[in-house]
Amino acid sequence: MIRTYPKLFLALLLLPFAARAGDPGFNGRWHLDTGHSTALDGWSAMDLVITAGGTGVSLRHDMTWRSTHVSAVDAIDTAQPVEIGDFFRIDQRHMAVYALPKAAAHVRAAWLDGGRTLRVEAEVPLEVSQGVRTMRIYDEYRLLEGDTVLELIELHSTRERPLVYYFNKATP
Amino acid sequence: MKRIFLVLSLILSTAAGLRGADPAPALNAYAMRFDGDWRVAGGLPVKAMLVGLQGLVNRTAPRLYIIQAPGFPWEITDPLADFYRRKYGVAFTEVGSADAALARFAHFARGYVVWDPGVPPTLDVAYTIAGLEDAIVVDAALIPLAERHGLAKIDDLRGRYDGWSNAQIYADARARYWARCNHDKIILLGGQFGPVRIPAIADWGVRGRMFFEDLAANPAHPDELALEKQFMAGLNPDGTIFGWHPYGKDTEEQHTTLSSTYGLKMEGLQSLPNLSFNSQFTFTPGFKFTNNPSVPPDARLVAEKKVYLAFVQSDGIGLGVWTKPGRGRMPLAWNTPMGWVKYSPAALEYFHASATPNDYFIGGLSGPAYMYPNHIPAARFGPLMDQAKALMATLDERVLEIMDNSAADGNVGNADLTKETVDRYYAAFPDVIGFINGYGPARTRDLRDTRPLISYDYYIDPLRPREEVAADLGELIALNSQRPYFCLVHVRETNDVNSLIGVIHSLHGPVEVVPLDRFLKLAASDQTYVTRYQHPDDPKHFAGF
Repeated sequence: MIRTYPKLFLALLLLPFAARAGDPGFNGRWHLDTGHSTALDGWSAMDLVITAGGTGVSLRHDMTWRSTHVSAVDAIDTAQPVEIGDFFRIDQRHMAVYALPKAAAHVRAAWLDGGRTLRVEAEVPLEVSQGVRTMRIYDEYRLLEGDTVLELIELHSTRERPLVYYFNKATP
Repeated sequence: MKRIFLVLSLILSTAAGLRGADPAPALNAYAMRFDGDWRVAGGLPVKAMLVGLQGLVNRTAPRLYIIQAPGFPWEITDPLADFYRRKYGVAFTEVGSADAALARFAHFARGYVVWDPGVPPTLDVAYTIAGLEDAIVVDAALIPLAERHGLAKIDDLRGRYDGWSNAQIYADARARYWARCNHDKIILLGGQFGPVRIPAIADWGVRGRMFFEDLAANPAHPDELALEKQFMAGLNPDGTIFGWHPYGKDTEEQHTTLSSTYGLKMEGLQSLPNLSFNSQFTFTPGFKFTNNPSVPPDARLVAEKKVYLAFVQSDGIGLGVWTKPGRGRMPLAWNTPMGWVKYSPAALEYFHASATPNDYFIGGLSGPAYMYPNHIPAARFGPLMDQAKALMATLDERVLEIMDNSAADGNVGNADLTKETVDRYYAAFPDVIGFINGYGPARTRDLRDTRPLISYDYYIDPLRPREEVAADLGELIALNSQRPYFCLVHVRETNDVNSLIGVIHSLHGPVEVVPLDRFLKLAASDQTYVTRYQHPDDPKHFAGF
């Protein structure tokens, strides 16, 4: 078996290390390309600031609407699930769907594709007209060829259409 | 003497019946057509002069009406002119130029005041003087034109305020003119800030000898805020602010919060034209508002296990899609500016006359005019809502729309009502079918006896791609999984109805679009929505003054 599939064996052996290592190209500030992305709702601009170190990944969202600026960080861990009290999602602000301030989101993350993809899965409690509901969010942050463009694909358990955002790497 | 002659020259013969196919006009008046150039360095000075002149010309009778260019914020000036012709028997003679206007109307003015485009508040001060002294307002380039028509200089503001702050300028003007100005009404000549200004409401202020200013209600400008508070405190208790807040210096939320704190009514916008003309008409003889209810007011309905959607157009009706194709293809509730019963009755009659069975009128915002009820002083709430009830009765309206963005900044913060505010509304309006709340989404909800209070679950940004609007609505339907689900949708002013119909057709499942009155009746039958009020811990973008 080992002799038959040496590459597979090697891959399985290295998997734990690969899963913990993100491509350093993720690190830095990314500007949303609004022209190529799903339309934001209630926000006019967005920056994503990614800081990956060890198994921890910080996803900071710098949101802008006119003169209003909101900054929020989701600190995730690719080695273990985490509970995040103020989980930030790129919300459609014109929907009556509200974060529950005292309820935590259950968040799991992993590096995939040799560190070129960061997968984040979150179960987010939300307040709507009829009470509290949980939205499952599935995100993939994909570093595209050349490391200057980041693609974020987001699926909601409650939404038919995926949300697709493209970010351009900010010049340091 | 000239004035008396002109008043007499108006043919105010009553339209005592048709004479064949060519009825005699009940009133002869004049109309001017404006282009769309409101640039300070372009078309503004001439328009500013003509709008001020309009206020003088219309002081004692409706003589001059202005038809704005296509694309102007208020889209009804042309169809309303036609309505005046057809229903009121007004015969308009068009005046083609500023020179022609002065040739015909200069005798209504005693002189001119010079303002300085380089010091923007001088236009406000000039308008204040114009109302008090019967003057037109001119920039330097227009002085020869004014003098050619026999007008002499009354005041010249050039140089007087160079280097002064806005607060200093208005404080000086207050000391000079406020005592002689109207204390029931004031003009907030805000809106666009910089290279474009649209002071189309100035005719109303000049006619009524009101004070003009554009002070900010923003704590970041403490001098302006302090002075604005003085003006608001100086208005009579039932006073009204006409116009709009100054973009770039403060927010709509800040200014409306401040005016509501003083119990003052806000009638927008600074671009609202022709009030000096419109306010001098009443409804046509025998006219009575009858709304388009889909259910009797005392009906008891039972909701089915489905999704109910209702759509509301709450921005100024004249700003919206009323004149665009598609209206009438789906049930749509329209918030009417109730104050227009006094200020523009013909416009309200025009809306009524051109309504389809799918157009349902509701009252608001929050009271007799635009106010934030969480901040209305308790002693003023009752008298103000008595006015609102009387206006709603005149307009045959049975739903009140409420909006309080004092804790919001556009889409950030919250737009909810305190329980105390909700209690006041339920006590003040025993005869309504129900209340709706919000502008953007909100989460104040209640049901008492048969009267629900439902907030918007969704706001349709006119620029949002329709496939994303459909996805948003679909997601709300998925999240609110219990049936019936009552989803109230606010349609922003420039959305077009045809695109909304496409969105509705793309939704899955048992979804029904219903008129707002039916929606509220159904919502009264099965409270699947959670009772909720503004909570102290809810996010507040603007903490208040």
